[in-house]
Amino acid sequence: MPPEPHNYPGPAAVPEGAQPRISLSRRLIAGVWLSQLFLALALLGLGVFLTRRQLLAAFDTDLRSRAMAVAALVRYSERRPHNLKFDPTLLPPSRHRRLPNFYYVLKSGENHTDMARIAAYWPQVVLPVLNRARFMNLRLLHHNYRVIVLRRLPVLDKEANLPHPLPRLTIYYAAPLSPLLAQVENFALYIAVPSGLLLLLAAGLTVWGIRRGLGPLRGLAHEAAAISDRNWSFHPAPEAVATAELTPLIAALEAMLERLHGSFLRQRQFLSDAAHELKTPVTILKTTLQSLLQKPREADEYRQGMEQSLEDLDRLQALLERMLRLARVEQLSAPAAPRPAPVNLKATCAAAVARIAGWAATRGIQITQDDSDGFQVAAGADDLEQLWLNLLENAVKFTPEGGLIRISLQSPRPGWVRVSVEDTGPGIAACDLERIFDRFYRSEPSRDRQTGGFGLGLAIARGVAEAAGGKIYAQNRPTGGASLNVELPLS
Amino acid sequence: MRILIVEDEPRLAANLARSLREASGYAVDIAPDGEQGSELGAQNEYDLIVLDLMLPKLPGDQVLRQLRAAEVRTPVLILTARDDKETAVAMLNAGADDYVAKPFDLGEFMARAKALIRRGKGQATPLLRLADLEINTLERRVSRGGREIVLTPMEYRVLEYMAHRPRVVVSKSELLEHLYDFNWEKFSNVIEVYISGLRRKLDDGQDPKLIHTLRGHGYSLREQA
Repeated sequence: MPPEPHNYPGPAAVPEGAQPRISLSRRLIAGVWLSQLFLALALLGLGVFLTRRQLLAAFDTDLRSRAMAVAALVRYSERRPHNLKFDPTLLPPSRHRRLPNFYYVLKSGENHTDMARIAAYWPQVVLPVLNRARFMNLRLLHHNYRVIVLRRLPVLDKEANLPHPLPRLTIYYAAPLSPLLAQVENFALYIAVPSGLLLLLAAGLTVWGIRRGLGPLRGLAHEAAAISDRNWSFHPAPEAVATAELTPLIAALEAMLERLHGSFLRQRQFLSDAAHELKTPVTILKTTLQSLLQKPREADEYRQGMEQSLEDLDRLQALLERMLRLARVEQLSAPAAPRPAPVNLKATCAAAVARIAGWAATRGIQITQDDSDGFQVAAGADDLEQLWLNLLENAVKFTPEGGLIRISLQSPRPGWVRVSVEDTGPGIAACDLERIFDRFYRSEPSRDRQTGGFGLGLAIARGVAEAAGGKIYAQNRPTGGASLNVELPLS
Repeated sequence: MRILIVEDEPRLAANLARSLREASGYAVDIAPDGEQGSELGAQNEYDLIVLDLMLPKLPGDQVLRQLRAAEVRTPVLILTARDDKETAVAMLNAGADDYVAKPFDLGEFMARAKALIRRGKGQATPLLRLADLEINTLERRVSRGGREIVLTPMEYRVLEYMAHRPRVVVSKSELLEHLYDFNWEKFSNVIEVYISGLRRKLDDGQDPKLIHTLRGHGYSLREQA
């Protein structure tokens, strides 16, 4: 026990070399912030993707209309034969400041293979492989270009006496992608910068919110740290009580405190009772020896005094032994105590009867035991024997000479056994029926003293009965005499 | 001096009685329960009542209240196994004069008992003086004019009782009452024997005479007639 019971280490104190601590609030903050970051990135990605697709569709439409415009520039010559000619003066301008648009116009005949170039403004000598794709991306002059391929276009110019079959046009048209890419980049920037700022703000809010949310927990810890062996009051703040997550913790703490406090009070009461009971015998011993030493005496007087002191010491020793037994038995009632192996009830009763028969016989008291057998109870055999012995002792003490005591075993209900010790004594006053099992309780102190009692026998009996999961109670028999009953669960 | 011990533990009562008788020559009666204690305390004139709190039949605090209700003014010394302040305060307020907590020291008990007896008689110190007569009640020694006087135990007890109440007329029956417990035979004429013995040892050849007889009333310890 620390010398200063008030200074229990607070919740923040963790011994050196312990496992690294994890911070709940840091975990929560990191979790929330990471999920926010993920959300922001996903939104940004999705936004960029969708925007790019949208822009690309618009770009492609524009590309297509430009290619069509290029196709419109192909005409028949005025003179026959009506050859196809190209007029580049009306070409649509490039949207890019520096990079030009490229075009390549072909005339195709009956089959696809015989092709003749009509006009071209194309940076490369050889056209790339022209597959069936309609759009494709190419590197032209070290820049990204998007190319549209329009196939089998008719010549828009209508002339009379056109050759047969009518020529068809294939048009390649390329425009630089950089304006599109710039637009996407801009868009991404517009989204990303506010997102980042919002993320910072959210992180701050998260830290504040979680700190605040964990406030009741800190308050609870503070409240719990204030509990000591002198201060058992535990009043969690209303905000902690109102917090659903803390309810099980508070309930567990309260239950634990109640158990601890009960056990603490029992221990203290026992200690105080024991000290009180020890005071009188110690006083007797002390005054006997002091009065012996008051003046020189005859040897006989010393001898008598020493014999008396020895008797008193024997009594004191008996009291101590009983108190220790009671303390041990009450310790057994603790819920954590292991359950002993089952023992036969009848055998323990018989052993107790055998131990007390001698004393009972000197007082002309007869003890009978019924024959019921087969009851098994999970309790220490020695403890059970002591239990019956204490009940029988009590009965012998209060039964007049020539009386009768009966110990019987019955089953009051399935799974239980009742052991009753009945006597033909004067019975128990109604106000004492409950209290006779309290330790150091004596209904008549002087009388009990003569019979050598300490008021512990029935308290020990109750301790054993309760440790075995049973109960003990006293009754007055309608025909006179008392009946002490112990009910125990069968194993 | 006559003392009543109300104590149910016979060993303890016997030890206290032996001490009081041997060390101070007091007469001691023992009551083993509260009812008898209350009865004896009200019937007889005691110089001190020693009262245990845990008693059969009638608890000590009830005995105390009954005695005080019956206007018994004898000092009461409480014996208790409870050493909490509440009990002490409650007992003192109920009319007790002092208390000792078990387990106590016999010497302390005796000192408190003597102090209460002294106070009950209005004396402040254990050294009693009248003219040149000096009585040391702790050592039970008597001297007059610096000369030591040897008294028999009974003579001393008579003188001590009278010296506690100087100048007061003490009747023969009062002396009997306070000097003898139930263990002793009572004869009224023994008082006269002790008085004449005291007169011879204290007053012969001395002036002033200290022991005076008031015929029909009793005796008194005082300087002038």
